[in-house]
Amino acid sequence: MYLINKNDVKKIAEELSKSYAVYGPVVEKESGQTFFEKVASMDEIDLGAPIPSMPPKGIVFPQIESIMTHSYNRETKEAKVKAEFGPEPKALFGLRSCDLTGIMCLDRFMMGQEYVDEVYLAHRKKMFIVTNTCAIPFKQCFCVCTDSGPSAKEGYDLNLTLIDDKYLVEVGSEKGQKLVDSLGLQKAPDDYVGKKQTVVDESIERFEIISTDNKAWISRAMNRMTTGFVKPEIWEYIGNQCFECGACSFVCPSCSCFNIEDVNRPDHSVVRLRAWDSCSFEGYTRMAGDHNPRKPVEDRRNKRFFCKLSYSQSKKYLRPGCVGCGRCAWVCPGDIGLPNVVTYIRREITG
Amino acid sequence: MDYKAGICNFCGTGCGHLLKMKDGRVDGVFVSQNHPVSKGRLCVRGWHMHELLRTEERITSPMIRRNGVLEKVSLDEALGYISDKISKDIKNPAEELAFLASPRSSNEDGYLLMKLARSVFKTNNISIDSESGHRNSINVLHRGTGMAGMLGSLEEIEKAEFILVVGTDITKQNPIVGSEIHKAGLRGAQVVTICSRESQIAKLSKKFIQVKPGTKKIAIAAMAKTIIEDTLYDNDFVKKHTEGLDGFANALGALKDEDIPALTGVESEVIKAVARDLVKAKTAMVFFSSGISGLDEDTISYIYNLFLLAGKVGKEGCGVNPITGICNLQGSYDMGLAPDLMTGYQPLADSAVIKKFNTAWKTDLNDKPGKGVYDLLRDGSSKLKALFIVDHDESIVRFSKEMKSLDLIVYFGAFENSFTDYAHVVIPTASYVEYDGTYTNTERRVQLSSKKADGDKNIQAAWKIYAALAAKKGANWNYASASDVMAEIARLTDTYSGISYAKFTGLGGLKWPCDDKHPGGTARLDIAGMKGALKFVAVSGTYAVKKAQDQNPFLLMMGQGQHFWHQNNIMKRTFIPKREYNATLLLYPRGYVEICPEDAKKIEVRDKWPVKVVSAHGSMQVAVKVTGDVKPGTAYVPYFIQDMISEFLLEHKEIIDQGENAIIPVKIEKV
Amino acid sequence: MSDHTCSNKLVTIPQIAVVEEIKDEIEDVKTYYLVFEDKEIEKEFNIRSGQFIMCTIFGAGEFAVSLPPSPENDRFHISVRNVGKVTGALHELKVGDKVGIRGPFGNGFPFEDIKGKNVIYVAGGIGLIPLRSSIVHVLQHRKDFGRIILLYGARTPKDLMYQYNIEEWQKIDGFETFISIDNPVAGWNGHVGFVNQLIAKANVPVDNTVAFVCGPPVMFNSVIKELMSRGLKDDSIISTLERHMKCGIGKCQHCAIGRTLVCTDGPVYTYKQIKTLGEQI
Repeated sequence: MYLINKNDVKKIAEELSKSYAVYGPVVEKESGQTFFEKVASMDEIDLGAPIPSMPPKGIVFPQIESIMTHSYNRETKEAKVKAEFGPEPKALFGLRSCDLTGIMCLDRFMMGQEYVDEVYLAHRKKMFIVTNTCAIPFKQCFCVCTDSGPSAKEGYDLNLTLIDDKYLVEVGSEKGQKLVDSLGLQKAPDDYVGKKQTVVDESIERFEIISTDNKAWISRAMNRMTTGFVKPEIWEYIGNQCFECGACSFVCPSCSCFNIEDVNRPDHSVVRLRAWDSCSFEGYTRMAGDHNPRKPVEDRRNKRFFCKLSYSQSKKYLRPGCVGCGRCAWVCPGDIGLPNVVTYIRREITG
Repeated sequence: MDYKAGICNFCGTGCGHLLKMKDGRVDGVFVSQNHPVSKGRLCVRGWHMHELLRTEERITSPMIRRNGVLEKVSLDEALGYISDKISKDIKNPAEELAFLASPRSSNEDGYLLMKLARSVFKTNNISIDSESGHRNSINVLHRGTGMAGMLGSLEEIEKAEFILVVGTDITKQNPIVGSEIHKAGLRGAQVVTICSRESQIAKLSKKFIQVKPGTKKIAIAAMAKTIIEDTLYDNDFVKKHTEGLDGFANALGALKDEDIPALTGVESEVIKAVARDLVKAKTAMVFFSSGISGLDEDTISYIYNLFLLAGKVGKEGCGVNPITGICNLQGSYDMGLAPDLMTGYQPLADSAVIKKFNTAWKTDLNDKPGKGVYDLLRDGSSKLKALFIVDHDESIVRFSKEMKSLDLIVYFGAFENSFTDYAHVVIPTASYVEYDGTYTNTERRVQLSSKKADGDKNIQAAWKIYAALAAKKGANWNYASASDVMAEIARLTDTYSGISYAKFTGLGGLKWPCDDKHPGGTARLDIAGMKGALKFVAVSGTYAVKKAQDQNPFLLMMGQGQHFWHQNNIMKRTFIPKREYNATLLLYPRGYVEICPEDAKKIEVRDKWPVKVVSAHGSMQVAVKVTGDVKPGTAYVPYFIQDMISEFLLEHKEIIDQGENAIIPVKIEKV
Repeated sequence: MSDHTCSNKLVTIPQIAVVEEIKDEIEDVKTYYLVFEDKEIEKEFNIRSGQFIMCTIFGAGEFAVSLPPSPENDRFHISVRNVGKVTGALHELKVGDKVGIRGPFGNGFPFEDIKGKNVIYVAGGIGLIPLRSSIVHVLQHRKDFGRIILLYGARTPKDLMYQYNIEEWQKIDGFETFISIDNPVAGWNGHVGFVNQLIAKANVPVDNTVAFVCGPPVMFNSVIKELMSRGLKDDSIISTLERHMKCGIGKCQHCAIGRTLVCTDGPVYTYKQIKTLGEQI
């Protein structure tokens, strides 16, 4: 553990900027929203800014990107194929714990299992992560219920916690240790462990009642979902409120469904695009020849929450699919973000 | 900061969003949390605006048709060609030349097109194709209140205790407005839907009144009748702030209580209860779709009168709210894109108005109102020879036969379109993120969309091209920027007089009237600020309803039940909205007609089987979709499917003009 | 889970293959014999029966297609029906044209695990295409298996796939082939009726037996019913599922059914697994 003065904390970012493209929370003036953006100068970073409205997953999993170009000339029979992705060193400075958990969910899914997704790997390689403990949760947050905050426990290179006028810097990896050494940071006295715990505890106290009153509210719903005791009427009730916009999947830090499209360009080459997709859409599962196994909207809602909350998913990945960031709640036109859905399911249990 | 705040350009809700820019090109989109209307939401179309805006399927060069083939030319050559041809061939522009404007153009584009048509080319034949749609709403509201636009405010939906939705499938047409209504309902507002088909908002409403096709007006009239007969209305309010109640009450006399259940298919008590709830609520709003396939003028008049009677007009949380489906439909009327209007609903035929514009434009205007473009095309005796068409994203080309016989068709647009097949000259325009422009949403909110993308340097904003064309004819307008154009609009239009680009700071734009009295804009129609009384508008007083005939036992009604209507050309350049649009079309490639399970059994058909729909005028073959959303005896067809529009529905020309209330008695048989 | 056979070079970026020969099969179905341009790739390309590839038609798009050849001593080919934009573009290609290949993906049919058992193949229509890879492979190792039976049905004789193979197979000693068409047709002397009727006719065994079933949903259900009523267990019935696929490597989740991803956990599943997937197929 190390310490750095509050006013000097950006020196870490400056040091990182020597070998990485630095991303940090920046407030867009006209809209007043925070984005996790690439910065040219460390002054742009505002560590006190609210949780980024756009999940930083967009850095490792862009909303739309070209992964390949190819061209084929039918007369000369010449075919050319070229990959368009490649690693670029990135440093994420001031990432919130929930968003880090989301990236780790994506890591497990995209780089684990049968194949390593090369496109994701290219974005994710050479990444330095500096997380920032949330001392004050936002109104929508419930990371305490999904084991993803308010302070990151793993997966970071450095973890910052603001204690009085200093930042506590915890090292989580060799890379982090090297950076701390190169900056010559002062070691933190042992009592900072307790001080940090105090900051975390106080933060937890500030969460909305619904999160802290009964931390098991999500896991109870998970159990219910998995054992199949949620009545179809509940799914119909939820499905009626779905506006089929896809927003929940787009803002969710752990959603990774994507679409692939080949687009013909005016010069007759073809670019293969990868873009965010969502299981909320009717056309998502439709197959050639009309068969659509998931046509009714309530089936699609069922699928989404099953994917996020069922016990079998959490058994596979060792944690729920939800990171408690609360974005799906404010972005949903129909008011069926995850917290509300869990409430409906619980209401069904309790009557 | 790659993200730049902007306005979504699809429907009339005018949601805020942020566009991610990369190397001068749009690369992503995100919601705007603090925008007063969208408040952090976007619909499926808004979420894929970036797919549209980064497409390369653009018209890349001006073209002139020579020997049947469109050949690339310079802009100067194209404009010169147009100018010469018009000088040579058009001797009587008031009869021979017309302009089909686009409800998607910015206010500056629309205003200069209008100025070009009237002052340079001397024709008043300018219209958008919503003459029989949104114009109805504007006429009624202007007649009654002097405000030619929505009376309420979308921001105040959360303050409405009672919300009435008439017809419109609002969660699919303007999803964010539907979302606001739904959330108000969750918070305790009473949401009532009157519709012939069980749309999503009907499922989410507290009360769903499923009336027989074409009888919404009767249900509304019945509500008004109860309020008058039982004297439920606030007498003080009516005396102090309104005039004309007697005329309205008389017109309701012809509606007999005992006829209501048979006509509407709904019990009288159900309708009366809703009327009582409407009056009791402290605040109430009504929503209906306005535009092509919106309500007819008579029904809108009844709705407005009902709400005036109930005292739900001119106060916070209240209003009669037509919802436009296209981004600048309201703005187009504000800019005078109608044969008989100048800006701000100033009548062309008024000599004082003509004098004002003659002075400002240094010209000599023809003061005789023109005709709408579709009226001219429809009229076999019209002398129309040349037509300018701007950015019509409908692939549906009505009157294609008549268009083929014109001498000159000029098409202005950004994306490829089937209109170009008919064009003699094609001129590319910049897409909306490539230049500054203001757009007026359905609640009179004028918002600035500033330039974000670089685009092709050779392709200019539409308004600049109109100015260049005017210059070819000797009219040098010399606008330095879009801001200059707006400054001129503000000088000539009372409701826009306080609007200037300098005032567009922050999110949310300015709602007109924005003038000296209301420097920050006007949230809603306010009785407090009004001088005269609100008038009850004239209504027909007739309550006949088209009945199904023995030979034609079904009543076919049309609507916009999908996200994508008018075959929306621009959405076809996206990936996911196009896939969703196709998901339905692939299941029912030639379109579908919805009937309920009992009727399907009677005709002995199953879902997706082909049926023949026969009316007095013609027939069409489509697939049948069996659903519980419609009641027995009702057949429903979504407006957007091409073959059905051009082959079958167009036979019923008068009926197209009645929009949502158009009812065609048909026979449906198994094939 | 399975250890995949796909070389890293063919996971994300397609490798170019040349159309060497095109054969007309039944109506709307053609077989394309392909050879990789890169000889190294050609050498390294190994498949298991039951796997699939993602095939790119340049300018049209990419689609998933099952692999009919046997893993051993069989030319690399695909048999594709013209159903849409991309398959339509494939059908316009001529010999010498090029396509892109990614793969092979998927778990594949069991082979080592079923040695010593009786193997029944029940196919309907173009369902014979994916099964062909297993049939040929098993026949190449005839002695390692018990009874090998093929029950194949189509609507008319013109709809029978791989006629040239069937003719050879009917001559193989120890391979019992039963072919049927739905309704009588002039000139057809074989069985008439639905394929599930052939199960009794062939006196299909149930002990130490595994059945591979592939065909349209209606046929699938009636065949399963018949087999299980004879005593065959649900974990001895094997099929291959189809789903809309985009990435083929278990990341985009278009092919998800419940907890499983058809492109990596499948596409081959036992009937026991299919019943517990958590969603309808």
